[in-house]
Amino acid sequence: MEAVLTGLFVGVLFGFVLQRGRFCMNSAFRDAILLQDNVLLKTVFAALLVELVGFAIMDAAGAIAINPKPFWWGANLLGSFVFGIGMVLAGGCASGITYRTGEGMVGSMTAVLGLATAGFFTAAGFLKPFKANLQAATTVSGADGKALTLHGILGMDYTTLALILALIAVVVWYFIAKSKKDEYEADPGWGWLNTGILVGLVGILAFPLSAAAGRNYPLGITAGWIGVVKKILNFSEVSMGWLSWMVIGIIVGGFIAALISKEFKFRAPKPLVMLQTFVGGLLMGFGAVTSGGCNIGHLLSGIPQLSLGSILAGVSIVLGAWAASYVMFILPQKKDQ
Amino acid sequence: MSEVTPTKTLDVCGKICPYPDMNTMTTLKKMEKGEVLEVLLDYPLSVERIPRNLKKQGHKLIEVEQLDGPNHRMLIEAHGLK
Repeated sequence: MEAVLTGLFVGVLFGFVLQRGRFCMNSAFRDAILLQDNVLLKTVFAALLVELVGFAIMDAAGAIAINPKPFWWGANLLGSFVFGIGMVLAGGCASGITYRTGEGMVGSMTAVLGLATAGFFTAAGFLKPFKANLQAATTVSGADGKALTLHGILGMDYTTLALILALIAVVVWYFIAKSKKDEYEADPGWGWLNTGILVGLVGILAFPLSAAAGRNYPLGITAGWIGVVKKILNFSEVSMGWLSWMVIGIIVGGFIAALISKEFKFRAPKPLVMLQTFVGGLLMGFGAVTSGGCNIGHLLSGIPQLSLGSILAGVSIVLGAWAASYVMFILPQKKDQ
Repeated sequence: MSEVTPTKTLDVCGKICPYPDMNTMTTLKKMEKGEVLEVLLDYPLSVERIPRNLKKQGHKLIEVEQLDGPNHRMLIEAHGLK
């Protein structure tokens, strides 16, 4: 019961913040090279910074025990690169397509369908051996047998290193911001900083609540969707976990936020585009499960825990998104000119 | 509702990210200075993103109006890069 209540609670908050803040990592990475627009990228950095400080303090205080994902470089590289390509095709990251389902966007619903389907087949179906072999063959653990982390490699305490990194980031950020005037004086939405801080706070809140329900990890998306699929296929035996309720909460939160701002409406792109977002979703589901996390599990939740696997996955997601954006959008534009 | 009469109308309703932005920008590029483009769109992210990127290309946002639900109408004055 606890998993249902706190999972839904965090999910509704997350969905609300995502919808009103227009948070999407696909846009964040793609727009930086396609539109030279860094607003959402700054939002992602702000959220990561807030989580880094929050996790560091909570870990030191004993409120959470960080649980970094393993480093399996082959699976991280391949899976996350495929995920990055997939999210460009799908028109949204794992969290983006989930909250837009609540906005009534049918193209995002077909993407979610693809994500859940391929995620299920990679986690528990015919692609499972491929994923398991790739992960096993390329796993590198620390000397203590634990997952490779930045603090582990440097032989440092997690909280100390996290706070030092946060401090460095703030100082670097301050000087970059000082050196160039903000290009966007009038932001009609929540503003990148507010959105980033709120996303980070939801991530901080998620960690202890999820751990209390027996899942020691902050936010994620893909595994939650797989849990929903398993429940549908085998509804009498499996009970849905915290993350699945959280994912359902995101749709509810996105729906409520869209209703309040009068933005809810069922709207569908052309059938061929829906096929494209479905295929994008398939690639995302395969990629996320192979790599051990999507843009939320690895990037948003794993990087602040200083997991080396999550950092590599994050880089690979960005590279995959850039490769796909180049082929899909930038190359055709060049040919036009 | 503005009194401005648009020179051209672009309907990007139903399009997925980032096509509303891209189609708007490419259309504006092909327009003469002072011509007005009317964009009809239903993707909330682009409603916020298009205005902040217009300025970089020298175009001018005249107004944004929320019609019914997520449907918005945007009027933009082209800079005339042609």
